[in-house]
Amino acid sequence: MLIYIARRAIMAVSVILVVLVATFLLFFAGPADPAQSMCGETRCTTQRLEDIRRSLGTDRPVAIQFKEYFQGLLVGRDIYVSGSPKHCEAPCLGFSFRTGVEVKDALATRFPNTAMLALMSMVIFLSVGVSTGVLAARRRGSGLDRGIVGFSQVFGSIPSYITGLLFALNFTVLYPLLPRYANRSDGIAGWIAGLVAPAIILGLFYATGYVRYARASMVDTLNQDYVRTARSKGISEQTVVYKHGLRAALSPVVTILGLDMAGLLSGTLITEQIFGVDGIGRFAIESLRNDDLPIIMGTVLIGCVLVVIMNLIVDIAYSFLDPRVRLS
Amino acid sequence: MGPTTEAVDTGVPSAAVADAIDKRAGRSPSQIAWDRLKSDKVAIGSLVIVVFFVLVAIFAPLLVALEGEELNKYHPELISAANTYPIIGATPQHWFGVEPRTGRDLFAVWAWGARPSLIIGFTAATFSTLLGIAIGLTAGYLGGVVDKIITWIIDVLLSLPFLLMVLALVPVIQSRFTKPGEVLTAEETSGIRFWVLIAILVFFGWIGLARLIRGEVLSLREREFVQAAKVIGVPTRQILFREILPNLVGPIIVSASIAVPAYISSEAALSYLGAGLVEPTPSWGRTVSNAQNSYARYPLFLWPPVASIALIVLALSLLGEAIRDAFDPNTRR
Repeated sequence: MLIYIARRAIMAVSVILVVLVATFLLFFAGPADPAQSMCGETRCTTQRLEDIRRSLGTDRPVAIQFKEYFQGLLVGRDIYVSGSPKHCEAPCLGFSFRTGVEVKDALATRFPNTAMLALMSMVIFLSVGVSTGVLAARRRGSGLDRGIVGFSQVFGSIPSYITGLLFALNFTVLYPLLPRYANRSDGIAGWIAGLVAPAIILGLFYATGYVRYARASMVDTLNQDYVRTARSKGISEQTVVYKHGLRAALSPVVTILGLDMAGLLSGTLITEQIFGVDGIGRFAIESLRNDDLPIIMGTVLIGCVLVVIMNLIVDIAYSFLDPRVRLS
Repeated sequence: MGPTTEAVDTGVPSAAVADAIDKRAGRSPSQIAWDRLKSDKVAIGSLVIVVFFVLVAIFAPLLVALEGEELNKYHPELISAANTYPIIGATPQHWFGVEPRTGRDLFAVWAWGARPSLIIGFTAATFSTLLGIAIGLTAGYLGGVVDKIITWIIDVLLSLPFLLMVLALVPVIQSRFTKPGEVLTAEETSGIRFWVLIAILVFFGWIGLARLIRGEVLSLREREFVQAAKVIGVPTRQILFREILPNLVGPIIVSASIAVPAYISSEAALSYLGAGLVEPTPSWGRTVSNAQNSYARYPLFLWPPVASIALIVLALSLLGEAIRDAFDPNTRR
């Protein structure tokens, strides 16, 4: 068991290291000069260009730059921001080009928004998806079953940003049935209320998949011998379905939940953009438009670390559920 | 006429029966799948929609000429000076109205927009499928260190947040095609973007198929017919392409048909987010992005691209699932 966990952890660390090196080479050591794009076309003096290069450290060899970035991540470092040195504690992701704010702080203030959105949509897609799937499985072959499967197939095939955009435009802008996003600092109640609309769309989109997984898994379980035995013993249908059936039917759903975590991050990114939620994804898109390299690099790294950690947790949790995976 | 049919002596005039038996025996899995697909109403309906969009894409210039317009022709006279919104809706001259502010004909933007969408979808699916087959075959057949390295690369790529990576990569890779200080025209930039998008979609797109093929090849290479081919000295190339690959036609077709709508959707999403196609290449995703703020006052701007993206992705996805069902011996329709 320990060996398995250690192997998975080493794998996770190696992935993060590779991503770190690859993103660094791509963003900071590319042939394009980030200072040039930062400097603006009309009012760029040589002095200003030099300042930016020095604050980025792009005037030095790539190997040294990487060493400093890496060092910053582990122990922190000093960075020149518009001429004066500023200390940046570990894990240091640098300072924004545009605003001078530390990347770590900027991400930390936005992270709860993304996490809350993901959590709320997860509650929706798990509850709606699994209960609808179980309902369809119990009425297998009926009109209701066909309706549920057909609807989830159609709704799940249309890109979520299309349904999300139409939902946002119609129900938060044109006919404001649901409140728009409000900042957390303006009150927790308003903040959560504003996240309801994006969470519903993201949740329903993901629910379509869970309807089908839960239905298939439940149909399979209800055909098992032990369920027939339970029924023939005269146990009530409720107990058979929920106590004997559902528990066994849920384990494949848990696996898929783990695999979906990475996708959910992409899902929140585009949903945040549509509904104007001030989360990590929208922040990344915004900094992309501003060529704000430290922020882009920071968000990619954080996103990757999150995905790797979630995959690791799922793998380890699954090895407890199903001992066979440890052997492979 | 095979020996089995001759051996069966039932006393019935056997020509017709034998023929029927032979036909059954001779059908390949692909033929069976094709026959099942033809009788699937959802698949045929989806195919009609896909063909419609393909025709729009092919005949875009003709359709726009028929309307009496051209792409990127501005009509400032149709724009209200007071609020920059068009003074017309859908008219016989402008079937989908005109764009706010510029007065460009929206039907032309829509019809031409079908092209990059479909070309990117099908090109990226073709290349990622080929790459997936090549890498999957290599890893599965060679095994050993090569397999370990490829599996590791796949694991790394799977851990990346896809959309975030792509968003960040597009401008970076694009900058690799321009020399420092060089200023590109809008056409050049959008041309480079087009291929960069395809390249990135392919780069992240081969993984699923490669994993699948690798797994299949791992088990196929131990089968008797492959072992036999090895023993009699069939060259590796021939074993791979004549013995192993024909067994994988089903999963490959299924994977490719599911990839196309995914890429079309990704292109539209990236263009919507501003990291996809740029002017003057028309793109439905970018039109959606431009139109969203005008929705309350000029919904005609938004509806055609939104409906088209939804329809084409839906139709291709349903078609892909129908193809998967057709190849799956466990489903009975």
